[in-house]
Amino acid sequence: MVLNAYDASAVEEALVLRDQFGGHINLLLVGPQSAAETIRKALAMGADSATHLVYEASSDLDSGAISEILAAELSGAEYDVVLCGKQAQDTDAGLTGGMLAERLGLPYTTNAVGLEIDGGQIVVTRQGDSGRETILLPTPCLVTCSNDMNDPRIPSLKGIMASKKKPISSRPVESAPDNATTMVGFVEPPQRPAVTMIDGTDEAEAVERLVRELKNTSKVLQ
Amino acid sequence: MSSILVYLSTSDDKIRRSSLEVLSRCREIADRDGADVAVVLASGSASGLVGEAASYGADRVYAVVNPEFDGHLNAPLAALLSQIVSVESPRLVAMAGTEGAKDVVGSLSVKAGLPVLPDVSSFDVAGNEVVAVRPVMAAKKLARVRSAAPSVIVTVRSGSYAAVAKEGRGERVDYSFDYAESVGTAVLRDVASAKVGAVDLSEASVVVSAGRGVKDADGKALLEKLASTLGAAIGATRAVVENGLYPATAQIGQTGKVVSPELYIAVGISGAIQHVAGMANSRVIVAINKDEDAPIFQYATYGIVGDLYRILPALTEAIEQS
Ligand SMILES: Cc1cc2nc3c(=O)[nH]c(=O)nc-3n(C[C@H](O)[C@H](O)[C@H](O)COP(=O)(O)OP(=O)(O)OC[C@H]3O[C@@H](n4cnc5c(N)ncnc54)[C@H](O)[C@@H]3O)c2cc1C
Repeated sequence: MVLNAYDASAVEEALVLRDQFGGHINLLLVGPQSAAETIRKALAMGADSATHLVYEASSDLDSGAISEILAAELSGAEYDVVLCGKQAQDTDAGLTGGMLAERLGLPYTTNAVGLEIDGGQIVVTRQGDSGRETILLPTPCLVTCSNDMNDPRIPSLKGIMASKKKPISSRPVESAPDNATTMVGFVEPPQRPAVTMIDGTDEAEAVERLVRELKNTSKVLQ
Repeated sequence: MSSILVYLSTSDDKIRRSSLEVLSRCREIADRDGADVAVVLASGSASGLVGEAASYGADRVYAVVNPEFDGHLNAPLAALLSQIVSVESPRLVAMAGTEGAKDVVGSLSVKAGLPVLPDVSSFDVAGNEVVAVRPVMAAKKLARVRSAAPSVIVTVRSGSYAAVAKEGRGERVDYSFDYAESVGTAVLRDVASAKVGAVDLSEASVVVSAGRGVKDADGKALLEKLASTLGAAIGATRAVVENGLYPATAQIGQTGKVVSPELYIAVGISGAIQHVAGMANSRVIVAINKDEDAPIFQYATYGIVGDLYRILPALTEAIEQS
C-alpha cells in the first residue's frame, strides 16, 4: 500500500518542525491491516510512533465517517498541530481535514504550501484561487498539506531499520459510523475523438494547416 | 422541494463565472421541481452584484456587505453559510469548487450537519436522493455518488455547466451577520496575488499552457506572445511551477485548477494524468511536442510534432495574418 503523496508531504513537514523545535510525531491512520506497511514507511521517514485504527473496509467509509473515527481518537489527546494530506490521491475528496477540525473545534486551513512557527503561532501559506494567503493560527490547530509544500524524504536504510522498533498501537474500530454518502459505481469518461496529426515541409506550412483546421473545422478561431 | 441555496464566490468585485455556472444549473433544477433559488453574496461589493445574481436566476439574494469577506478566512464564511442553511432549510447547497470553497466546506458540513458530494462534474435531485458524478483517480474514472440525506452540499468543478442568463425574482434579503463574533482565532496576514497574463484562467475561453519543454525566459516570451495574440489565459504544469518559471496560481491539474476552455494549447507538455485531470474537458486541444510518442497526443484534437521554439513564433504569425 502506498503512502498518499499529500500525506507524505504532511509527514515531511512534521519532521522538519520536530527537528527544528523538538516534540513527538504520532501517526494516525484508519485502514485495513495491510496498511501497517504504509505506517512503517512513514515511521522509516522518521516519525516517532503510530496509532493504527484497524478497519478492513475503510475505503467504503466516506469522509464524514472517517473524520468521526479520527475525532473520537483525538478528543482529549494532547497535541499542538494536526497535519493531514489535503486530499486522498484516489478519491480527491479533500474533506476529512476540515471535518475533523470542526469536530475537534480547532481553527484550520487547507491546501498549505508552506508552514513556519513564529512566536508560538503557526504561520501557514496556503495556495488560494488568485494567490498565496498567509494565515496565522494559534495552537492547537489543523493544517492540510499540498504536495507542493515540500519534497518528502526517501527513508534511509538506517531509518528503515529503526522503524521496526518504533511502537505502533493497533486497535480495531469496533463500530464505524454510518455513511451519509454512497459511491454507486463507475462510468467510463467520454472518449475524446482520435487525434489529427498535422505536418508540413516546414513549421510555417504546418501551422498554416493548423490555423485552417481551427477556423474551418473546429471553428474556435475567427 | 422548497429551495436550493447557492453560494456565489466573487473575485475583483465580480461574481466568478464558475459560480454563475452552478447558479444556472440550480435554476434549471428549481424550474423543473418548482423550487426557489436563494443565493449568498458575501463581499465588500455584494450590493452591486444583486442584479447580476438575479439575472442568472436568483429568487432571493442574501447580500452580506463586508469587505472582510474579500480576504479569505474560512471560519466566518462557514458560520455565515451555516446560519443561512438553518434559515432556508434548502434541499441542496451548491457552490463552485474553488480553493476558497474547498477550505470552507468541511467545517460547514459538520456545523450544519449536511453531507458533501465534493468536486462533482454533474449533479441532480432525483426523488429523495441527490445524485452526482465525480472524477476520481486523477479523473481517469467517473464515480457515481449519491446521498439520501434531506439536505446535501455539492461543490462543482468549473466548466461543468454553461452560465445562462435567466431572470429570477431577485428579492434582496439584507442579512445582518456578526463577523467579529464568528471570525474565530485565525488571522489573515497577507494575500500575495500572483496573476499571469491579462486573462483569468478559470474564465478564459482560450488557454495556452506551458510545460517543461518551455525552458527559459525566451520560451516564456514566445508563449506569452501567442497568448496575447489569442486573448488567451496562461496555464502551466506542475513541473514549470516547481522550477519557478510560473506561479502556482497557473497550475492546471489534479492539485491545480480545472479548466475547460473552447481551445487549449498544450506547449511542451508530456500529458501526465495528473495534468490531464485538469484540462481533458477542453473542447479542442492542440498539442505541440517534439516527442511523437508523448501521451498528450492521446488527448489532443490536433497534434504537431516539433520544436516549440520554432513552432510558437510561426503559429503566432499565422494567427496574426489570418
Ligand atoms: C499527487 C500528484 C499531483 C500532481 N498534480 C499535478 C498537477 O496538478 N498539475 C500538473 O501539471 N502536474 C501534476 N503532477 C505532476 C505530473 O505527474 C507531471 O510530473 C507533470 O505534469 C509533468 O509536467 P510537464 O509535462 O511539463 O513535464 P515533462 O513530463 O517533463 O514533459 C515535458 C515535455 O516537453 C517536451 N519538450 C521538451 N522540449 C521541447 C521542445 N523544445 N519543443 C517541444 N516539446 C518539448 C518533451 O518531449 C516532454 O513531453 C502531480 C503529480 C503527483 C504525484
